[in-house]
Amino acid sequence: MANVALAVAEAALRARKLDRTLTTALPSAVRPNAAATEIARLDDCLRGGLPRGQLSEVVGRQSSGRTAAVLHMLAAATRRGEIVALVDTFDRLDVGSAASAGLDLDRLLWIRGEASSLFDRVIERGLKALNLVLQAGGFGLVVFDLADAPLQALHRIPFTTWLRIQRTIEGSDTVCLLLAPHALARSAEGLTLTCGGRPAWEGSAARSRRLAGLEMGVRVVSPRRQVDGEVACSARL
Amino acid sequence: MFGALVVRGTGPVARDGPSSDGPAVELLRDVAADFSPRFERRGDAVVLDLAGLDRLFGHPRAIADALRTAIVDRGLRAHVAIAGTCTAAHLLAAHRSCPVTVVNRGEDAGAVAPLPLELLAQLNPLNPLNPERLSTFRRWGLRTLGDLAALPADAVSARLGAEGLRWHRLAQGHDLRPLQPDVPVERFEQAFDLEWPIEGLEPLSFVLGRLLEPLAAHLERRGRGAAVLHLRLHLVTRTLHERSLQLPVAMHDARTLRALLLLDLESHPPPAAIDRVVVAADPTPARVLQFSLLARPLPSPEQLSTLMARLSALMGEDRCGSPVIVDSWKPGVFGMKGFNPDPKPKAQSPKPIAHSLEPEAQSPSVALRRFRVPVPARVRAHEGTPLYVAVDRRGMTGGSVQSAAGPWRTSGNWWKQNLGVGSLPLGVARDRGIGSSFSWDRDEWDVALGDGVAYRVFRERGSGAWFLEGIFD
Repeated sequence: MANVALAVAEAALRARKLDRTLTTALPSAVRPNAAATEIARLDDCLRGGLPRGQLSEVVGRQSSGRTAAVLHMLAAATRRGEIVALVDTFDRLDVGSAASAGLDLDRLLWIRGEASSLFDRVIERGLKALNLVLQAGGFGLVVFDLADAPLQALHRIPFTTWLRIQRTIEGSDTVCLLLAPHALARSAEGLTLTCGGRPAWEGSAARSRRLAGLEMGVRVVSPRRQVDGEVACSARL
Repeated sequence: MFGALVVRGTGPVARDGPSSDGPAVELLRDVAADFSPRFERRGDAVVLDLAGLDRLFGHPRAIADALRTAIVDRGLRAHVAIAGTCTAAHLLAAHRSCPVTVVNRGEDAGAVAPLPLELLAQLNPLNPLNPERLSTFRRWGLRTLGDLAALPADAVSARLGAEGLRWHRLAQGHDLRPLQPDVPVERFEQAFDLEWPIEGLEPLSFVLGRLLEPLAAHLERRGRGAAVLHLRLHLVTRTLHERSLQLPVAMHDARTLRALLLLDLESHPPPAAIDRVVVAADPTPARVLQFSLLARPLPSPEQLSTLMARLSALMGEDRCGSPVIVDSWKPGVFGMKGFNPDPKPKAQSPKPIAHSLEPEAQSPSVALRRFRVPVPARVRAHEGTPLYVAVDRRGMTGGSVQSAAGPWRTSGNWWKQNLGVGSLPLGVARDRGIGSSFSWDRDEWDVALGDGVAYRVFRERGSGAWFLEGIFD
């Protein structure tokens, strides 16, 4: 009897669009105003794409396909007519790979750091550049590439840095994306995409063998540390 | 009602008068500017709009006398004519021997009728009467403008076309185009003499703000924007420190201009204290923006200019912008250009709806994380095939090769220079995106190590040394 009454009350709240007050309310099928990644399975898992105005992260070890995923997201953003920025802290972008991913290079602001062993200084400069870009506004997707930074240097970044970044983009249409070897920081509504992958080869004979791509798996961790799902895809060479 | 002033004779009547027609016409322009803001120079004549002057002077004859007096006061000898059209006034001032001619309203055609046909050639120096056409008129027995004006317009048009009709209208004293007033050249400049010399950018920013506010307001009033901004700093050492900023778009926002100037001065500071500050702008028509309801708005050019200036000051001038693919087979070569996105995205082939695509069609492409300067590696190989890779760099473990594909041999620019890939100039050149002019000759391999990391390695054929090109990721 109590369950029936509860169901009636919840139905009434939903009818008046007050269902957000319900603790049992299911998340909507599609996240409003999301930045689609244009990887169908991943977008399904993300309920439309990456949340705007939030700090999210793509993490993974080397050759896990994290850079491929980020370039694909940048390309998807430029296809929507947005302008994007890449703070390339250690100057690792291969322009040919970016073009192969379908990225409109004219709409990419590429900020090149330097491949120096003075990691702290390089990261600090990259953070300043990231702040400038986020404060300027108008960018659909801003990627901060820290994939080649050593863990010790990353852990020396004050936690308040990420709070400040989140505060900067809050309420805007910008997606700020960290590219890091390990989970580093994300905002309360942000996502963590953990990439795992291995090289895929074609050809059995030594002379006919070639690197075909990467077999990727992306694990999505959403707010409140809930695992939304795991997606398998492949990156072609 | 229009007036025309034409210099008669080349000699001045006064001792300090002009010695040629050019300065004389300039003086006539000054006279015209004293009477009316709407005047136009046509060859050696100045035509001015006299509308409204009758309320100030009364009869047109009084206006003509006042003009004549002003001309004589400047030491010139010139004829003045007033008529209902610019053409009639110009013709009469150019021909009549009388220094002052005034034609009543509606009598323009009659007044110009006795004038010779040759005058038409003087009337429009940009499109003079064709001499052959003049001889045609003479063969027809036409001597004066009145003779030509008396011909039926349709008959002239049938024989001479549109050009004949145009001259026919001129012969009647009609205007072919309205008066196009000369616009005086405006200077967009502000200067400030400092009571005490200032040093450093902080006090200078206040001075710049004080100068740029009125300058920006002036530009905005005239519908102009600054294309180039010039800053001249007079220093206490009696030297001049000059900077010029080429702005990507016309802008007249004082805060943006001040920020750009200060950012430029951070990189190029004045060597001494400043006595005097001068800011000047090269004007250009201001931008007219039409925003779209549907397209996502991009940052304004002012915002982008400021952002790029700040980023360049932080990271270096050649380290911010948009990448450009260079037409070269050399691996890793690229160029840089300024970030200036087109408001309209490039037209691309329509992409199908995401859910209708096969997963393979939407898969990302593998990216190479490229080492801008290749990393030297120690590789143990068997018959050219790498078996073990060791790297002396933090964060790279190395190990035995699980799978390898290759070699892919590439070479190029061998006819220019023979510099090795590991040499510093190549690294520096590649870092600047201009490395396409250096030679290369190498065998590339894609290798996967035991820890699951896939590298692109290559062996330089000249030296036999191995390098890591990048990591597949």
